Amino acid sequence: MGIDWITLRLRIKPAITTLLLSLLLCTFSSVQAQRTTSLKINEILVINETNFQDDYGVQHPWIEIYNASAGTVNIAGCYLTNDINQPRMYPVPKGDVLTKVKPNQHLLFWADSQPTRGTFHLNFTLDPVGSNFIALFDSDGKTLIDSVTVPAGQVADISYGLVHDGWNAKRLDEELRLNQSYTGGDKLWIPFTQVTPSSNNFILDKNDKVENFRNNDADGVGMTLTAMAVVFAGLISLYLLFKLVGHVAVTLSHRRVMKASGVSKEAAKDITEQSGDIFAAIAMAIYESTELHDVENTVLTIKNTARNYSPWSSKIYTLREMPNKK
Amino acid sequence: MDFLSFIGDNLQIFLSYTGFANATWGHLIMIAVGLVFIYLAIAKEFEPMLLIPIGFGILIGNIPFKDAGLQLGIYEEGSVLNILYQGVTSGWYPPLIFLGIGAMTDFSALISNPKLMLIGAAAQFGIFGAYTLALLWGFDPSQAGAIGIIGGADGPTAIFLSSKLAPNLMGAIAVSAYSYMALVPVIQPPIMRLLTNKKERLIRMKPPRVVSQTEKIIFPIVGLLLTCFLVPSGLPLLGMLFFGNLLKESGVTRRLAETARGPLIDVITILLGITVGASTQATQFLTWSSLKIFGLGALSFVIATTAGVLFVKFFNLFLKKDNKINPLIGNAGVSAVPDSARISQIVGLEYDSTNYLLMHAMGPNVAGVIGSAVAAGILLGFLG
Repeated sequence: MGIDWITLRLRIKPAITTLLLSLLLCTFSSVQAQRTTSLKINEILVINETNFQDDYGVQHPWIEIYNASAGTVNIAGCYLTNDINQPRMYPVPKGDVLTKVKPNQHLLFWADSQPTRGTFHLNFTLDPVGSNFIALFDSDGKTLIDSVTVPAGQVADISYGLVHDGWNAKRLDEELRLNQSYTGGDKLWIPFTQVTPSSNNFILDKNDKVENFRNNDADGVGMTLTAMAVVFAGLISLYLLFKLVGHVAVTLSHRRVMKASGVSKEAAKDITEQSGDIFAAIAMAIYESTELHDVENTVLTIKNTARNYSPWSSKIYTLREMPNKK
Repeated sequence: MDFLSFIGDNLQIFLSYTGFANATWGHLIMIAVGLVFIYLAIAKEFEPMLLIPIGFGILIGNIPFKDAGLQLGIYEEGSVLNILYQGVTSGWYPPLIFLGIGAMTDFSALISNPKLMLIGAAAQFGIFGAYTLALLWGFDPSQAGAIGIIGGADGPTAIFLSSKLAPNLMGAIAVSAYSYMALVPVIQPPIMRLLTNKKERLIRMKPPRVVSQTEKIIFPIVGLLLTCFLVPSGLPLLGMLFFGNLLKESGVTRRLAETARGPLIDVITILLGITVGASTQATQFLTWSSLKIFGLGALSFVIATTAGVLFVKFFNLFLKKDNKINPLIGNAGVSAVPDSARISQIVGLEYDSTNYLLMHAMGPNVAGVIGSAVAAGILLGFLG
């Protein structure tokens, strides 16, 4: 029977280790995925006649990518395409430090069908007449990170971009619902007569939240009421929860005493609801009558006999082994 | 003769680099302030762990020198002090302090009598009272939020929030918060006496029940989930506070808990104190804004104490006779752990030498820490 237990424990341990390792791997893979998914197709210029020039001094259509996260993201290994059936059309080369996009920063790709000109020159171009589908796929070539279809009939030197950098439909909806002073309209993608390659589509010259409070809550009453309501809500929920937890703990302790001592519920209540003062008085009485002490005459120590063993806290494991002189 | 004039010129150049040649009245005033802090810490024992590093930091920060790109001052990029100051400006010292606070705090009093949490919530009126006053005194909302947090009586929280909302006011806010925390024994007792009558001061509270280890383990986990789901922007402070507490209460990570509440918090306290002190360079610090911040800081402590005491009196209207709360523990709702709880005990003993309020006052006191971190999270969420 004893051997069975040992065998079972030996089997369980690798199983737990495997489970923990898998969880850890899942965490890392999800973190990686979360990072690349924060890349957004932000602005596109299909017909570039007199606008921004590439490093060869030539105008081409361009696609701007925006990192909407608070951490640096490396786009290397991801794929850009203009054909949903060929997701791996242009692999962004690895090994170029410039493929790292800093938080809330942009990266520009030239759709000139000349990939030999550098990392940021794509192997496809955009159709100046018809609509253009553009997609960004993750490094597995299957996971779609972001896509957009630029409608046909684009005008020269007018770009098509997100109304605010990195926004999605949910974010726009939230803004329309909660910010009455929002004046950007209800469209997520809009034409920009003043194109903004490698810079923000919307220039922030002030903190909207602060402006909102400055205009609508000059005396701070709104903030006080809202914030105090939230503080109270948080601590009231903690209060209610711990009232419940305390109630359950006290009931369980009554039951334990009733079971162990065979006393009635009322007697168990009396025993369990004794305060720490009584235990301190008992400890003091024991000390006075027996003069038991272990270190000093004036100190009574009540020690916990439970052993919290761990190889990490065991001194023997931290000692260097003596050299074997045989 | 040429050699002598060479020596003379060099001595003149050297003299132009000394503190004597560069001293201004501002430097001398700030050095005097630093000396007062050190005096209060040693002679009066007002928060010596904070006032000694800050006071000495003020001396360090106000040694006058010629700005010749020698990378000496705290505001010069790449200087030693500037590198140490990054823990303040980037806001990573305060969460580490909270880790230590969590690892040394016993939440038993709060768990055994959870209604005391509400006192910790009420005292946060100090923050928003100061916010309102700061708006009236011409500060913009984000600056007012950073100044208001002084009323939370929690130095690390004040530094954390001001580094995010108003970095240019951080020195004044931090020094103000720590100064008034040290002056809690002077500020709070008169307000407590003024707002209570003798009968109320003599209220004896029911002794707290013994709390099981399971409850103590559940508290940091549930506390984190509840408060941070409600106010995610409080995560850096609350996350570390509750993590430190779990290290303590789990019983199996004793070494980690001891490091967090011992060497780690000591190291960070030294670095935080000395750099906050040094950040008060007269040229940056002696402004009308700083004086206003000191005034608002004092008022915020008064409002917080008043709100805590009055809330207990109001709360008592709804409680049974056996469960009444002594309003003298209302002041402990401002964080300032454990000083404000100690004040409840001292004032309580003045009126009844056998009425020990310390254990009861620790409840609202630690609730105040949670409350002020939540309030900081709200301000950061609204104004950040």
